[in-house]
Amino acid sequence: MSKYSSIIINTWNEILTYRLSFVMWRLRTIFQLLTIYFLWHSLIPKSQTLFGYSQSVMLTYIVGTAVLSAIVFSTRTHEIGENINSGNLSSFLTKPISYFGYWFCRDIGDKLMNISFSIIELFILFFILRPSLFIQTNIEYLLFFLIAIVFGVLLYFLIGAMLGMIGFWSPEVWAPRFIFFILVQFFSGALFPLDIFPKPIFALFQFLPFPYLLFFPLKIYLGQISFAEIAQGLTVTMVWIFVLWHGVALVWQKGLRMYTAYGN
Amino acid sequence: MGIKKYFMLWWLFTRITTQVALQSRFGTVIFLVGKLLRFTFFLLFLVLLVSKTKSIASYSFWQVIFFFATFNLLDSIPQFLWREVYRFRNYIMRGFFDYIITKPISPLFRCLFGGSDILDLFILLISVVFAIYSAGQLSVVTFTGVIVYMLLIINALLISLAFHIFVLSVGVVTTEVDNSIMLYRDLTQMGRVPIDVYQEPLRGLLTFVIPVGMMMTFPAKALMGILSLENMLYAVLFSITLLFLSLYFWQFSLKKYASVSS
Amino acid sequence: MIISISHLSKHYTIYKKNPGFLGTIQSFLTRKYEKVKAVEDISFSINEGELVGFIGPNGAGKTTTLKCLSGLLYPTQGKASVLGYDPYQRKSLFLKQISLVMGQKNQLWWDLPVIESVALNKEIYGVSEGDYSKTLLELTELLEIGNLLNVQAKKLSLGQRMKCELMSALIHKPKVLFLDEPTIGLDVLMQKKLREFIKEYNKRYNATIMLTSHYMRDVQALCKRVIIINHGRLLYDGQLLELIKKHAPYKLIKVIFKELVDPKKVENLGQIMRFVYPELVLRVPHSKMGKIVTKVLEEFPVEDLTIEDPDIEYVIREVFSKNIK
Repeated sequence: MSKYSSIIINTWNEILTYRLSFVMWRLRTIFQLLTIYFLWHSLIPKSQTLFGYSQSVMLTYIVGTAVLSAIVFSTRTHEIGENINSGNLSSFLTKPISYFGYWFCRDIGDKLMNISFSIIELFILFFILRPSLFIQTNIEYLLFFLIAIVFGVLLYFLIGAMLGMIGFWSPEVWAPRFIFFILVQFFSGALFPLDIFPKPIFALFQFLPFPYLLFFPLKIYLGQISFAEIAQGLTVTMVWIFVLWHGVALVWQKGLRMYTAYGN
Repeated sequence: MGIKKYFMLWWLFTRITTQVALQSRFGTVIFLVGKLLRFTFFLLFLVLLVSKTKSIASYSFWQVIFFFATFNLLDSIPQFLWREVYRFRNYIMRGFFDYIITKPISPLFRCLFGGSDILDLFILLISVVFAIYSAGQLSVVTFTGVIVYMLLIINALLISLAFHIFVLSVGVVTTEVDNSIMLYRDLTQMGRVPIDVYQEPLRGLLTFVIPVGMMMTFPAKALMGILSLENMLYAVLFSITLLFLSLYFWQFSLKKYASVSS
Repeated sequence: MIISISHLSKHYTIYKKNPGFLGTIQSFLTRKYEKVKAVEDISFSINEGELVGFIGPNGAGKTTTLKCLSGLLYPTQGKASVLGYDPYQRKSLFLKQISLVMGQKNQLWWDLPVIESVALNKEIYGVSEGDYSKTLLELTELLEIGNLLNVQAKKLSLGQRMKCELMSALIHKPKVLFLDEPTIGLDVLMQKKLREFIKEYNKRYNATIMLTSHYMRDVQALCKRVIIINHGRLLYDGQLLELIKKHAPYKLIKVIFKELVDPKKVENLGQIMRFVYPELVLRVPHSKMGKIVTKVLEEFPVEDLTIEDPDIEYVIREVFSKNIK
């Protein structure tokens, strides 16, 4: 276990060494949050509703996306592709360490760092903006909320790992990730809750993995969906995790065979 | 060396960068699709919003679209022209910047214009189409309005240029920042919707201090005939001052680079 | 005088980080800086057409000096002048007459055929069409890379790439050339070829060249004059031969015997460096050389006899260990 905890600590070390870059990154997320926060703030006047959302519920949703982004979207898996491309993968293969275990620990390190910063930032913003937020008190919803977050983290890691392994076949690992970012930004519900879309379109979204990263957990937190819907959502997430898990294992085997056959 | 010479060099650099970009057809197509998706998605979002609310911050549907098109115009032109800024950190880290400095052309020119990205031309073109069409749907467009619009667009580009120079300078001074150009992008993203959406004091801050409103919202407002003359003059004064400061900072950063790098 | 620097010093600060996570946190909050004297009070001057070797261990200040001379760094103290210009002002006319090539950093466009990078430099340096095609032809012949011009830079071997780097850096026929470790990482054959090229370029264009290298063979083969620095200070500036005479005032006599000789008899010839039959290597002072050679030839069955200069690596090591001026 200690080797994995030292990976986490090394990740922190790395982040703090490039402190300016990290501060910039945090600033970026604050700006992104503020943009959307104020957009919705002006769109829904107090004591009115839009798409069935009151101002305080919508703002809770938006602040929630900021917290969940720090938890779910903080990742290092985008380095996997470069790692394979550059041939640095070789040095992992000769070590008694699980490759994906290594990257998952990097993710955890990255997440912890981002979460702690995001909490501080949100506190400060909270005292400046003083929004009225919705607090969920139902313990069952909170429990499912936590489960959904864990699932979301797993799901995002698996997708990231899958995209990284493109590196086995192509040097262009960035282009697919670029599209992925754009898709995630819209279909995870980072800009707006997905149920503002017309019903039939929204129903289609539910089969994609993206809503389960932000939108679904937040809807649970807001207590806006029934337990049947929660069960359905969690099932879909599990199916995706199952499929991706095996997909990653399969692609890894194939990629590794190629990697070792041609050498790097 | 004269303007003509520099234009020729720019042409040459652009040709070479284009060659490199097109070598990876897969990447080119994917990036293009990504940019188009981003544009379309946000457009859809706006349509969805306005279909329900009828207006955003008291702007009509076509006004909102015109703001959005103007934003994209001002987002894509700098990306097209000054894409090299995004690669700059890499140059610093790999020591390639040393080669840039020892060449008999302006390093600033090289670092700004040395890698124009033609992929951004598509979004640029689409933005122009959208801007013209949505402007056509507004009833108040006058000839002077169009002229002032264009002048303020140029003014916004000067502000953007100044920001790009600041980003380069920060890169030279610290050698570790890779997010600062993205910070600029995130800031300007706030101008995808008319700046009036934001609450005071943020709105004032975004209009007059962090010049997002000046860049993204002023030109469109001028075309609609709802921008005061004082604001226009302020914007021009602001951009010139900022550009001047950025050039000064660039010189400073070069000096600093020469004194600290090893 | 093409290059001259007087009392040049270059100091800079670096930041220090304590090891471990705590150290990282600490340096996140407050950074400790340390002053490094990369170059300290160095003076020398170089005439037109000279090919000077610049020697010193890693971190001695070689690259820093070259950077000061090519206008990348401005000196903390002292003055540098190249072709009558202050390098740091980086006047266009100045930059058009120099070139800096660093063996460890490439400037070719990775994904493009070499010729594209060269053509770009043609425009940057404002080389006329006529000069361009002439220089291109000459350089391709000298470097023997005619068939490589249309190959992507990333597909070249290290040696080929270095040749192409040189070609692209020399397309404007610089009068002054700074070469920082041009042969690093190359195999022996390729090193030799590059050396020959550098020598030929120096002769043909009467170019002034400063060269740093780890390989003493480079220096020995190319440079009559060497400048040695260590810890940022100048240790020696003068003829390589003089240096050898001063720090290694002896020659090596290499003898191959025809038949077995009595080791005892050999012993009193002089200082024996190596004796493995049939080869004997003697180290003798200049003054006694004639005598000893005659003696060997008279008293022993000699197949072959050669007189060599001492190994330059050895001499340099000697200089550094004594660290004298």
